[in-house]
Amino acid sequence: MELSRRNFFKILGVTGASVVAVKGKARAWESKAPPDPFGCLVDLTRCIGCRKCEQACNDVNALPKPDRSFDDLTILDTKRRPDEKTFTIVNRYYPGKIDERDQLIPTFVKIQCMHCQDPACVSACIAGALTKKENGTVHYNVSKCIGCRYCMVACPFEIPAYEYFNPITPKVMKCTFCFDRISKEGGQPGCATICPVEAITFGKRNTLLKLAKKRIKENPADYIDQIYGENEVGGTSWMYISGVPFEKIGFNKLPSEPMPKLSETVQHSLFSYLWSPIALYGILGGIMWAFRNNGDNTEIENNGGAR
Amino acid sequence: MKNKKMTALLAGIFMVGVSLLLILMSAGQWPSQARAKVTPGTATVSPPIPAMVSAKADNGVVKTDWKAPDQEAAKLRANEEVPFVETFIDECLLCRQQKLRDQGLSTKDIPNTYFLLDSPIIKKQEDHYKPVRFMHAKHAAEANDCAVCHHYRPTDPEALETTRCSACHQESFKKDHPERLGLKAAYHLQCMKCHQDMNKGPVDCIGCHAKNVPDHKELVKLPANPAPEQVTNECLRCHQEAGEDMLTTAHWLWKGPSPNTMEHRKEVRHGKGTDVFNNY
Amino acid sequence: MSHQAYPLRAKLWTPGVLVLSALMAIGAVIIVARFIGGIGYVSNLSTARPWGLWIGVDVASGVALAAGGFTTAFLAHILGRHTYEPVVRPALLTAMLGYTFVVLGLMVDIGRSWAIWKPMFNWNTNSVLFEVAMCVMFYVTVLYIEFIPAVVEQFKGKVNLPGLLGKLNAPSEFLMGLADRILGKIMWVFIIAGVVLSCMHQSSLGSLMLIAPTKLHPLWYTPMLPLLFLTSAIAVGYPMVVFEATIATTSMKLDSEMKVLAPLTRITILLLGLYMSLKIGDMVIRGTYVYLLDGTAQTNSFLIELGLGVILPWLLLLSKKVQTSRRGLFITCTLIVLGVLLNRINVFIVGYKPPLGDSSYFPAIGEILVTVGLIAALMFLYRFIITYLPVFSAPGKEVSS
Repeated sequence: MELSRRNFFKILGVTGASVVAVKGKARAWESKAPPDPFGCLVDLTRCIGCRKCEQACNDVNALPKPDRSFDDLTILDTKRRPDEKTFTIVNRYYPGKIDERDQLIPTFVKIQCMHCQDPACVSACIAGALTKKENGTVHYNVSKCIGCRYCMVACPFEIPAYEYFNPITPKVMKCTFCFDRISKEGGQPGCATICPVEAITFGKRNTLLKLAKKRIKENPADYIDQIYGENEVGGTSWMYISGVPFEKIGFNKLPSEPMPKLSETVQHSLFSYLWSPIALYGILGGIMWAFRNNGDNTEIENNGGAR
Repeated sequence: MKNKKMTALLAGIFMVGVSLLLILMSAGQWPSQARAKVTPGTATVSPPIPAMVSAKADNGVVKTDWKAPDQEAAKLRANEEVPFVETFIDECLLCRQQKLRDQGLSTKDIPNTYFLLDSPIIKKQEDHYKPVRFMHAKHAAEANDCAVCHHYRPTDPEALETTRCSACHQESFKKDHPERLGLKAAYHLQCMKCHQDMNKGPVDCIGCHAKNVPDHKELVKLPANPAPEQVTNECLRCHQEAGEDMLTTAHWLWKGPSPNTMEHRKEVRHGKGTDVFNNY
Repeated sequence: MSHQAYPLRAKLWTPGVLVLSALMAIGAVIIVARFIGGIGYVSNLSTARPWGLWIGVDVASGVALAAGGFTTAFLAHILGRHTYEPVVRPALLTAMLGYTFVVLGLMVDIGRSWAIWKPMFNWNTNSVLFEVAMCVMFYVTVLYIEFIPAVVEQFKGKVNLPGLLGKLNAPSEFLMGLADRILGKIMWVFIIAGVVLSCMHQSSLGSLMLIAPTKLHPLWYTPMLPLLFLTSAIAVGYPMVVFEATIATTSMKLDSEMKVLAPLTRITILLLGLYMSLKIGDMVIRGTYVYLLDGTAQTNSFLIELGLGVILPWLLLLSKKVQTSRRGLFITCTLIVLGVLLNRINVFIVGYKPPLGDSSYFPAIGEILVTVGLIAALMFLYRFIITYLPVFSAPGKEVSS
């Protein structure tokens, strides 16, 4: 018994040392955001709610034609969300401002994938079907997807939609940032191209940030001093500026920490190099060894084997 | 009774025509040589309305080689590519108005009264609507201020004081000028903002644009002497929704005697749904 | 001290089993419908609510309630408390079947069931779900290996397959002989691996929700979620064994295993107490108790979970009367099991409220029938296996030896 105890503590000591050694190597969480991604700046003071972006998106991505024409603006009477047949939609809000003729001024809000800098969906994806590309796109590769829908659970903007009525080969559907188009030199996303008022400005994210700050600074009366997407969830490739507070027009308040930070920190500090399972295995092995004489020690070996 | 009404109507049309002409003349819309040729009798038909001319030509109803000269000139201008203006002088509206006044420039000095708001720059990106016909002179007269639209001027002292929109506003999202609006957005923002502020002029799409209607010559497939039903059927082949909408309108549903129809006020059956043979 | 497990050889087709079969058949029909019309055809899942009953109950709760397998293995094999040996095999069987149905539930829930193998070749080590999936995959394998001895015991030297299959007799015998010789020597590898893998994915199931702080109600969302999941799984392990053993022995008219079960509950006082203090402590430190009296469905569900599912059974366990009464013990353990079940449902379904889209969700009848069908199949297989394989041991023998 004494020997086994000593052995046990030896094992404990060894595993303990290895734990400390490995833990020292485990680095703090680092952002994996691309340094110079493309982005889009949506200026909500410009959007006129014409739904042309929806139409362009539908054309460019060869999505099924909707029941109601894109010219039908009565559809704005209801609040919509992107779904598996629509990557982007425009909603109308009346945040309470009135014009000189006492008419409520509408604010139109375009919704699509925000293409986060450190996307929750990419971190969550079980098989790496979702990736953040150097050009800023959060890209979906259906050939790796198993359809677990954890990306949808993780997304703080509730964007990925699912083909629930496709029994065998359903896909996650979301804005592609027109990946193929913007990968070409001079290419632009469909919605930004068609927008009649350039409510969507396409460019490098860093440039757009400067541009947004400039617009806000030069027209302080027209804008509230916030760029939605500058810091939200660690920054997004799509950003918004607005004349009314974002809470009033359907944007949720989000932390400035990237969504994957906590879970990835927990996972990596526990499981990098599998140190904790190995340590636990060692400890349990030690305990088992230590208690091997406890009671009938042939029991384990005979577990089921001999009758 | 009937005759009296007809004369009144004709007189009305004439009056409207004349007053229209007067307004246009006072606005300086018409070049002086054109003005001399115009006589009151032809006033209502002579303004070259491009849409009318081209539509007729398309239908093959009127075959003529004559083309409206200012429309052709506008087309040529729309196709010009203007060298890009890199830098401009950022002045306030008042400064700019003062400057123009100092130079003795006013809305009367407009060289081109009519523009077709089109450009290869826009065509390159998309082509969903027909270009807008823009009455430059009329707008100038209405605003009586060049500076509201010609808001900045190029830094180059040689350049015209009032340059064309497309000199500064070209492709969208230029890499070196991210803040510069593209031509299409510049047009839309300028027009719509002013129309909204003035509470005057259209702010919807088809208020200014004619829709790019595809040529139906190729689309419509009918036998040589089609029966009326065949024609309706052929329309409905694509415009099914319009057909269904029709069924909910008064054209279709109208029933009962009406005091508003002169000779048929005792008739009960009025709507297309009840009294027309071709009613499917 | 040696105990011996034996097949019960009771009548299989009792009325209860017939009811189970009917439920299984209905569930099977719905599953067929799901693979014809799609997930949306039989479920109420939506863009805002991508996970529902199938993940909340079939997967998350299934994993939690199968915790008896590794907790008893730890006690009996690693700590060498062989008095608990009689409950190891039933618990192992529950775990094995439980995880099998976790996998089956997943096959129904994931959109591309045929692609379920893909994560093995496309690793995303940032993904919590990837880790859970790998652990579950390995653990299912471990559970099957751990159960092999029960099969070998029953059939070794007796393989006699009919007709053409008869050719497989000799190879089967050989394999079983091999398993018999080798497994006994290396079983400890799998026993420890089972415990390690369980600790890993039981906690990681809680980490799954760490990535959605804006969607999970603050009463549940805490960085400690993985620890709470692990401690609750450990705490529910023994009560689950008591729960199922009581049902099984009552249903099969066996002698009760009170002698073994009673001490298990004393350990549970400690384990459940740990879970309870972590849960309450977390609530106090984060100040989330302010939500408790909101009166919403979510907060009420939390109150029930904590009050009836954790605190009440813990207090009951303290009483001597409950500890010694078979009925009292059963009721208390049922409360604990239901408490953990409700916790998993709360975290994955009730507490999950995305703020932007239409977050309303109630499982569709199709979803419920699939879940019920799967549970019925699990119970049926359990009964089938204890009838024909040596799982339960003769309580009398243990005393005599």
